[in-house]
Amino acid sequence: MASGGVELRGLTKRFEDAVAVDGIDATIEPGEFFSLLGPSGCGKTTTLRMIAGFEQPTAGQIVLDGVDVAAVPPHERNVHTVFQSYALFPHLDVFGNIAFGLRRRRVGKDEVRRRVAEAIELVELGGLEHRRPRQLSGGQQQRVALARALVLRPAVLLLDEPLGALDAKIRKQLRLELKALQEEVGITFVFVTHDQEEALSMSDRIAVMNGGRIEQIGTPEAVYEQPATVFVADFLGVSNLMDAEAFGDGVVRIGEFRLRAGCGEVAAHGAVKVVARPERLALLPHGAPRENCVPGMVERTVYVGANLQVITRLATGETVQASIANTGESTTYASGTPVAVHVPVDALRVLAPSTGGAATPPGEVTAEPERAPAVAS
Amino acid sequence: MSLPARLRNPWGKPRFLVATTWLYMAWALLPVVVAMLFSFNQGHSRSVWQGFSIRWWWGDPSQSIFHDSLYTHALVHSLSLAALDMVIATPLGVLLALGLARWRGRGSGAANGLMLVPLVTPEIVMAVSLLLVFTQLSLVPFSLVHLGTVAQVVGQVTFSLSYVVVIVRGRLAGIGPEYEEAARDLGATPVAALRLVLLPLLAPAILASMLIVFALSIDDFVVTQYMSSNASTTTIPMFLYANARGGTTTPALNALASILVVTTLFGVGIAYAVYSVLGRRAAPSGVSALRELSGLEAAA
Repeated sequence: MASGGVELRGLTKRFEDAVAVDGIDATIEPGEFFSLLGPSGCGKTTTLRMIAGFEQPTAGQIVLDGVDVAAVPPHERNVHTVFQSYALFPHLDVFGNIAFGLRRRRVGKDEVRRRVAEAIELVELGGLEHRRPRQLSGGQQQRVALARALVLRPAVLLLDEPLGALDAKIRKQLRLELKALQEEVGITFVFVTHDQEEALSMSDRIAVMNGGRIEQIGTPEAVYEQPATVFVADFLGVSNLMDAEAFGDGVVRIGEFRLRAGCGEVAAHGAVKVVARPERLALLPHGAPRENCVPGMVERTVYVGANLQVITRLATGETVQASIANTGESTTYASGTPVAVHVPVDALRVLAPSTGGAATPPGEVTAEPERAPAVAS
Repeated sequence: MSLPARLRNPWGKPRFLVATTWLYMAWALLPVVVAMLFSFNQGHSRSVWQGFSIRWWWGDPSQSIFHDSLYTHALVHSLSLAALDMVIATPLGVLLALGLARWRGRGSGAANGLMLVPLVTPEIVMAVSLLLVFTQLSLVPFSLVHLGTVAQVVGQVTFSLSYVVVIVRGRLAGIGPEYEEAARDLGATPVAALRLVLLPLLAPAILASMLIVFALSIDDFVVTQYMSSNASTTTIPMFLYANARGGTTTPALNALASILVVTTLFGVGIAYAVYSVLGRRAAPSGVSALRELSGLEAAA
């Protein structure tokens, strides 16, 4: 299974007056579960549509297993798509939908029957062959859409928010199934989503997109634990982002408090952003003599079952959220309680604002000199 | 304020509105029903009831609509014009609708709007203009169209095309681009995607268009009259117009008019039924026939 590698080189899509995808570069390994994650309008769906062939890139290359397919029409690409709305053909039954692609390839009748049966088995839809799409539940429709694409043994399967139309419970279940399916078939999956939980739980690697550009590519752990930019830190999970001043030796000043930051751009100087995840913060009794503590006052506590979200206003004026495991003693964080918020050294991350694309509007970034050659190539 | 409680009751039946509606329907439909009834009159009178008979439909060996050659000829000519209009205007309109739906960018908005112009142009204006270009211009292709059946078909296609475009375009908008993209994605060439996915999904709209075109053609008087050459190109509406006030007519004329009413109603009725039943089956989002067909009414 060495096929299914995708390389995007300076991929750009300009619509009449807007830049949807702004010269992105990415290498997707064969057999990888790769997610494009970002808010709506970040260019993730346009990127997917260019890989599928529905949109023609303004510039750049899409290299599929060593061949640039940017100019190849969609029906000649060995890449298939699971659409957000599934787009199952309403006038064909489940069998007809799954067989559609095989018949276009002039596969023999018996072979069609055998492969469709296999695909139906793979997605566990046995017995529903002669149902029409509208007679199926959302989850079943989604499986038909998957089977319809997988039966053609694509090099790459593109999935455009395939779980978006389902309700929360089925979505969580299908998430696990989809990941298991991907491991079983060993096909490269390119998965578009705006749901960070989906991306984190299924992907081998995630590209976080914003304003038509990729902010960071990395494993779920990497993008969550070591966000490279303010945007990534902010988009993935709840992050406590604070303005700070850095001194280049791992010490940052937030308001009048000096803290040691153990990761990120610790050598940065001047105005920076620092970030700490809620689950890494600890709440200590007020006045506890520990380093890396900032005093504050509990503003309110939100009970979410497994844990408590304690929102604390720091003495610096900033509000931070701490996620505390629910041990049955919620009353200790009553509103108004003075506390000391402890930020472990290895949990405080420095983000140099210059690396953050989110701080500058996308329109200005296009003028950046280092981007220009990529667009032109 | 001082209205009686019965009228002020907001949950009460809107009696006045219901009564007005029925009154209007009676006013509009009664004359048609009476005219149709008189086609079954025993005597020659078209205004005095003399007992029931089907002689004007079939019984009379020389004067029934199926025995008098003037009547049968008008009937046959009307039906053949309608059939020609149907098989020419429908495919052309489907192609135009597909083209308009695909065409994005400069000029597409204007073209979409201009498509509605034939619907709102006074028919007499269109008829006179067509007459002028077919008879006065010595320019190909206009000079090739001679008054008579050819001109009648060309004229009817010209104005019925817009109806097809509006119906099919509405359906296309409801279908959205993703089915076609899915077909392309699964390896269908553009032509195969059209044939295997788009046309089956458009089938209700295409059938509905055909029947609407049929009804429009059967009904049309102005354009058909102007494009006609001689007695051999007389249609039912033309025949009715020419003879309704004459003194020598018989209830066979009413029978002919009844055929006109029934075929038109039948065409529109089947169009509506086909569109709602098939449309419901094929439409993913349950686009209602009423909404789209009424959109057509609004545009017309």
